[in-house]
Amino acid sequence: MVSKSGFRNVSIGSTLLWITVFVVVPYLFVLVFSFFQRDPEQIVAAVFTWQNYKDIFSPVFLVVCWNSLILALGTTVITLLVAYPFAFFLGRIPERIRRILLLLMIIPFWTSSLIRTYALIILFKANGIVNGLLLSLKLVDEPLAILYTQTSVFIGLVYTLLPFMILPIYSSIQKLDLRLIEAARDLGATSGHIFLRIVLPLTLPGIIAGSTMVFLPALGLFYIPDLLGGARSMLIGNFIKNQFLTTGNWPLGSAASVILTLIMCLFLYVYFLSSRKARTSGMGEMA
Amino acid sequence: MKKAFLVFFFLILPTLVFAAKQEVFVFNWSEYVDPSVLKQFEKETGIRVRYSTYESNEAMFAKLKMVQKAGYDVVFPSTYFVDRMRRLGMFAPLDKSKLPNLKYINPALLNKSYDPNNAYSVPYMWGASAIGINSKYIDPKTVTSWNDLWNPKYRGKVLLMDDVRDVFGMALRSLGFSANDRDPNHIRKAYEKLKLLKPSVKVYNSDSPRQPFLNNEVTIGQIWGGEVYQANQENPNIKFIYPKEGAVFWIDNMAIPRTARNVANAHKFIDFLCRPDVAKKNCEFIGYATTNSKAQQMLDPKTRNHKAVYPDDATVKNGEFQNDVGDAILLYEKYWEMLKTQ
Repeated sequence: MVSKSGFRNVSIGSTLLWITVFVVVPYLFVLVFSFFQRDPEQIVAAVFTWQNYKDIFSPVFLVVCWNSLILALGTTVITLLVAYPFAFFLGRIPERIRRILLLLMIIPFWTSSLIRTYALIILFKANGIVNGLLLSLKLVDEPLAILYTQTSVFIGLVYTLLPFMILPIYSSIQKLDLRLIEAARDLGATSGHIFLRIVLPLTLPGIIAGSTMVFLPALGLFYIPDLLGGARSMLIGNFIKNQFLTTGNWPLGSAASVILTLIMCLFLYVYFLSSRKARTSGMGEMA
Repeated sequence: MKKAFLVFFFLILPTLVFAAKQEVFVFNWSEYVDPSVLKQFEKETGIRVRYSTYESNEAMFAKLKMVQKAGYDVVFPSTYFVDRMRRLGMFAPLDKSKLPNLKYINPALLNKSYDPNNAYSVPYMWGASAIGINSKYIDPKTVTSWNDLWNPKYRGKVLLMDDVRDVFGMALRSLGFSANDRDPNHIRKAYEKLKLLKPSVKVYNSDSPRQPFLNNEVTIGQIWGGEVYQANQENPNIKFIYPKEGAVFWIDNMAIPRTARNVANAHKFIDFLCRPDVAKKNCEFIGYATTNSKAQQMLDPKTRNHKAVYPDDATVKNGEFQNDVGDAILLYEKYWEMLKTQ
């Protein structure tokens, strides 16, 4: 009994220590720096100021935030539309095929997402595989402009983040009690009704979890839009990177990081509230 | 047994003694030295090389600032960081008497305004940023000026670097100003002019600008000479044009931080990299142009005469090297953000 709780303490303790040293402490630096002044000689001067937060709410930064939010939101919606039907059928096909499909979905994770993004460039470029195929089939006369458009940015983001949406939805679909659907059908409900009144509410926790797991990374990712979109607009990630690596304005970059974190916390809070609500209302309907 | 003792005494013991005493801490860009060159240095001098890498000037600067005492002995800043760090007193002055191989460095690259008389820095690798075109689609004779990028017939086919100083430097040169201009009016004019170019720009890329050229995504744009040289291995149609307003040049330099603990070894290391046979081996491994005239002569004729990699002295004289712009960088960045978000 003693050794069991000892093991528990060690495992929890080491994780806590890890998070404290590599997440909490660096983040506290960011928080503190965001209230300091920029100093060209010493990088930051330990003088308290609100100026960084006044500077950050400029029209430019609001546009940067808006661009990032729209991109993340669009990615989440498209990913959901693609992932839901896939996860639904994944939950209903024979075990053997399902295992193969799950494996196929996970294998790309063995390769770095940066390298997979470069692979997309090879597919989409003007003299690339997709355009080569279209040209040889005489479907187009000249190469389609796919690379460096908003379309290729969305394809890249959706492709990279899709498994994060599929897995939570799949697990909630697996938990779905098929007897409820049979009962509804026996009572004369149409397929549309069954989906809207039974399947959707019961898989809502999976949808919310998946959306959060797609939305939050999409908000911070900037190398995919840079590589596939041609870096023609600026996202929060680019903005923060430039403050640190171009202008040496660490306090402003820190303030922007704090704002990004606050936006993410806000969405996590919404996730927390809605998942609790989804769980209780799901229970209520079952009762 | 006796033999083993002798081996220990003459071969192993000396290296142990040296390992304990003689070291040089080198802080360089990643993939910016031939590893066999480091081994050769250790073998010839008995000085152990402690090697670590960075990805940006700013990161190197921050680390030198944060680690005040136990410092690095040799760093490799670009021109504008030499300028900035020299002004902040972060370098130890070079003792030229300990750098006899300095005489091999190309004189066209010495005594620039970022470090007068090279009191603190020795050029290592260098190159130019100028105009790249795909001659399959554009006649090279029709492009002579930075202003040609603004030609409406190249709409949607232009590449710019994804770097505020490179892009604004080009725009400032096109207006006849310095690429290191600090005058807010001139910077604003450059911004106004770049706004007109924006609809033409297909992609901003400074990781590997040759790729969009090779992929037929762009036909004209900013590019480094070394990238054109590499692109030519695949596609000889990519040409490099030095605009009449002058190209913008970069140099990465070797310097000794003031906090260095092994100043004598640092001099030995820098001098070693300036030795022609070492410089030749090194530049062949890295793929950029060597600053070492003697090493350049030792390269194969196709490489040493490639105009994109080794421009003539008149072209260098007509161009400009990037200097530090001080706090004007904040203004540059502000306009850069406006350009990217409009």
